[in-house]
Amino acid sequence: MTSGRQRRRVVPDYMAAARLTVPENVHVERTTLVYIAPDAATNGLDPPGSHLLTLLRDGPLSVYECAAHLGLPYCVVRLLVAGLVGSGTLLTRDPPATDLPDIEILELVLSGLRAL
Amino acid sequence: MASALSESRISTEHIPVKLVIAGPFGVGKTTLVDALSEIKPLNTEEVLTQAGTLVDDLTGVNEKTTTTTAIDFGRLTMPGVVLYLFGAPGQTRFQVLWNELVRGALGVLVLADTRRIDDSFAVLDLVESAGLRYAVAVNHFPDSPDYPPDALRQALDLHASTPLVVCDARDPVSARASLIALVEHIKELVLS
Repeated sequence: MTSGRQRRRVVPDYMAAARLTVPENVHVERTTLVYIAPDAATNGLDPPGSHLLTLLRDGPLSVYECAAHLGLPYCVVRLLVAGLVGSGTLLTRDPPATDLPDIEILELVLSGLRAL
Repeated sequence: MASALSESRISTEHIPVKLVIAGPFGVGKTTLVDALSEIKPLNTEEVLTQAGTLVDDLTGVNEKTTTTTAIDFGRLTMPGVVLYLFGAPGQTRFQVLWNELVRGALGVLVLADTRRIDDSFAVLDLVESAGLRYAVAVNHFPDSPDYPPDALRQALDLHASTPLVVCDARDPVSARASLIALVEHIKELVLS
């Protein structure tokens, strides 16, 4: 019997990333944009994976937004995404390196903010 | 404003960029992110490990070995770029999360409250020690005393080139102006 002190999910979070081969080097972070690969096979996925694909049907989203929409912790969704990138189902657009930001990107941000 | 933007879709051509909004508890980070974001506030759990468990009271939840926190998150889709805003907790016990959030950020907007300016020191230390590009925005509350900018600069021990703006975090136009001041400053630093 459960103590009732704590509400648990029926399926534990770590199961969301189960059965996926997660690459050793995970190059996915909060603001990485994720989208479905044009030729991806989208069936036969576990529920979290297919929920993620449903979410991405309308276009790319950041990993962080995916986590929020799926109601799963970011660290779990990060691995889920990395696994699906490894299997060729998802593609990513990485945030640019920021050691020395690109002036063109800064100009885009400035003109975007001014146009709001 | 937010409603007109809410239809914005991200394309695969968009470049994702990130700015971090930092400041002590209650300084207006959530307010500022919500004032600017085109999407409704989202909640995700950030798992805090050892650092947080020592401080957060876990009495009565013996099975709980980690603790979570919600962080502010906002999005602005613009031509060519999608700008993400992250509100970062300023308490030093969030150091691990902080390091992760600022990684890859173009810069940091540090929010300060003149009624308790001392609270901003820890955040400024974090930002400066990490060598991050930043600007300071003083969030003006109705009962905030009015100090001349020079006095604020001195109190915060800011470098002459660091932008200091006064804003109202509730007002999207004012919040936007502080982000513009930050990005202008980042641009100057990159060009110099």
